Amino acid sequence: MGRQAGALNRIPVAAPSPAGEGFLLPIPVDIMLQSLIDGILLGGVYGVIATGLSLVFGVLGVVNFAQAEFLMLGMYVAWFAWRYLGLDPLLGSVLSFVVVFVVGYLVQRLLIARVLKAPPAAQVFLTVGLLIVLENAALMLFGSDFRSVSVPYQVQGFRLGDIFVGAPYLYAFAAALFLSAALWLFLDRSWTGRAIRAVAQDPMAATLTGVDTRLTYGVAFGLGVALTAFGGAVILPYITVSPTIGGQFVVVMFTVVVLGGLGSVAGALAGGLVVGIVQSVSTLFFPIQLQNLCLFVIFIAVLALRPQGLIKGA
Amino acid sequence: MFQATVRRRLVLAGFMGLAMCGTAAVTRALAAEDVVIGVIQPLSGPNAQFGIGSQRGAELAAEMINAAGGIKALGGAKISLVMADVPTPATAAAATQRLISQNNVSAVIGAFVSSTTLAASEVTERAGIPLVTFAFADQITERGYKYVFQVSPKGTVFGEAQFNSAIEIAKAAGDKIEKVAILYEDTAYGTAQAKGLRAAATKAGVQVVLDEAYPLGITDVSPLVNKLRASGAQMAFPVSYLNDGLLIIRALRQQQIDIPVVGGAAGYIIPDFKKGLGEYAEGVLSVAAASGDLIPELAAKYKEKYGTFITHEALIHAAALDAVVQAIEKAKSKDPEKIRDALATLDYCAGFARGVPGGCVKFDANGLNASAFPIMVQWRGDEPVTVYPPKAAKQKPVWAGKPVP
Repeated sequence: MGRQAGALNRIPVAAPSPAGEGFLLPIPVDIMLQSLIDGILLGGVYGVIATGLSLVFGVLGVVNFAQAEFLMLGMYVAWFAWRYLGLDPLLGSVLSFVVVFVVGYLVQRLLIARVLKAPPAAQVFLTVGLLIVLENAALMLFGSDFRSVSVPYQVQGFRLGDIFVGAPYLYAFAAALFLSAALWLFLDRSWTGRAIRAVAQDPMAATLTGVDTRLTYGVAFGLGVALTAFGGAVILPYITVSPTIGGQFVVVMFTVVVLGGLGSVAGALAGGLVVGIVQSVSTLFFPIQLQNLCLFVIFIAVLALRPQGLIKGA
Repeated sequence: MFQATVRRRLVLAGFMGLAMCGTAAVTRALAAEDVVIGVIQPLSGPNAQFGIGSQRGAELAAEMINAAGGIKALGGAKISLVMADVPTPATAAAATQRLISQNNVSAVIGAFVSSTTLAASEVTERAGIPLVTFAFADQITERGYKYVFQVSPKGTVFGEAQFNSAIEIAKAAGDKIEKVAILYEDTAYGTAQAKGLRAAATKAGVQVVLDEAYPLGITDVSPLVNKLRASGAQMAFPVSYLNDGLLIIRALRQQQIDIPVVGGAAGYIIPDFKKGLGEYAEGVLSVAAASGDLIPELAAKYKEKYGTFITHEALIHAAALDAVVQAIEKAKSKDPEKIRDALATLDYCAGFARGVPGGCVKFDANGLNASAFPIMVQWRGDEPVTVYPPKAAKQKPVWAGKPVP
């Protein structure tokens, strides 16, 4: 087996036909490995971004259509921190987390709290309305420019044999992992974290044992959008921010969450990795334009065959 | 989610509508004999940088023409520009229609983005208003439209020039190129130019080892660059707008790929390219429709007013406006029909037309400026300079870090 892999490794790769639709099978091992790694690095960040959406749904039972706009907000906070304070986006992401947490907490207490017991249609209208307001407010405040940061590691990469790992992708992935671990510790060990989980399971029982549910809802929503904002900030070195960036992530985000099971935090992380890998590996077999098509075929298949998501659990 | 997108668009359209009413009102307050020319450009959205540059070029040209006494044939009438934002092809037709019906425009210039221009030209053609454009997808002048005029060469011609000039420069530097890669954004502009690149490569007997289209809004180019690395290409020809261009160059550096990159204009030759890449922009070659060093006096005025070098879209739109003005002078009328006829027989080799390589604006039966040709520019410090062909070059090209003899 190992020998076979070695032999495949030496097959010359140059092959696509001049018309561009051709590809060679079998795919050499190093190329396969390269896109797997690219997919995992991308997927880890998708995981954190979508965890926020999943957390909000799991605890509040509200599908937050405006979630991706908080990603945009987080990116702008990090961009301004880079531009005016000279903060690297990886550090600025902490600021994004804090700022968006406060914004999210206020949004929950002032707006979302009013529709928690309302019919789902009212909740959808509220969050979609929020999406429109946030996006257009950003257009008015920041203009439609695309802004990108410039940091030294943007053009650096690491080489492991035939595999290349882009530095900004690696750092973003590491930051995403770090935050996921912190989130797990928080939900598992801290009193507030346990209160959040208690409210998710049974708000009435939680109230009876002395949990302030209104406060907890606010914290959970703030935490959810802050996670997404953090994810937005750490990818700033390889993505440009504009007021409409949310539109590019909203579909990926929902796909991740549905794959992992709506409301499941661990599922969202796993879903993120799956989406990243599918996006990356599918480009080996199909033109890059069909990257998201493969994703949606899987998405529909999961909804049809396993509507509870691939992973079920907390 | 999809409803949400539609609603967002509606709200956006609403805002734009309000903004447009504002401009229209201002225009009407101006003197009655002004000649009104519509400028449609993407002033918001992903291609805003290009739209803003194009608009500045037209504005500066209008200012300079007005300062020089306006349109002499109409008793010194001043030019007044009305702007409309056309961020996407989907909004172009409606916005152009509104611009035409609310203002008594004599002609329209612009749209920069090819797919947007195609949509807008449907409206101008029906309304019988001349549209002078810089957008260069082949279809624009190949539909037999009477009212479309294009100041620059066609997209396939750009593709061929991008390929041939690069091969010539490499040859002069003693480098033989056998394998190349073509990467292009998949809307009208990228597709047309890639067609030209492909044809030129076939003709030259050079193997295209990678020929890959990617969606315009691409956020992760690593699959693209992985394919490029695996292909063993000795040179890459990306045809991109700005963000995709920046992503591609950065990903190449991350993966330590140092093959020459020859850009396809648009994103590769605007100030933001240098802003986004810093020192990594140095030496990047690109095909271009024009360059500031061909018309230094306009370039200096532009830099003084806007603080950056004049981009080729600004320059070509200045030339486009000048062409309209010359047609009005010739027709002695601001009637769109008469301006069209005057444009069709225009042969103008002065004013801002001197900034167009070839030095003239003269349209053929399809409305294409037959005398124009693409040039090759290369980043030197903060600006791209013309390096090819020799008849237009201001400096010698640099290949693989060494000046080409």
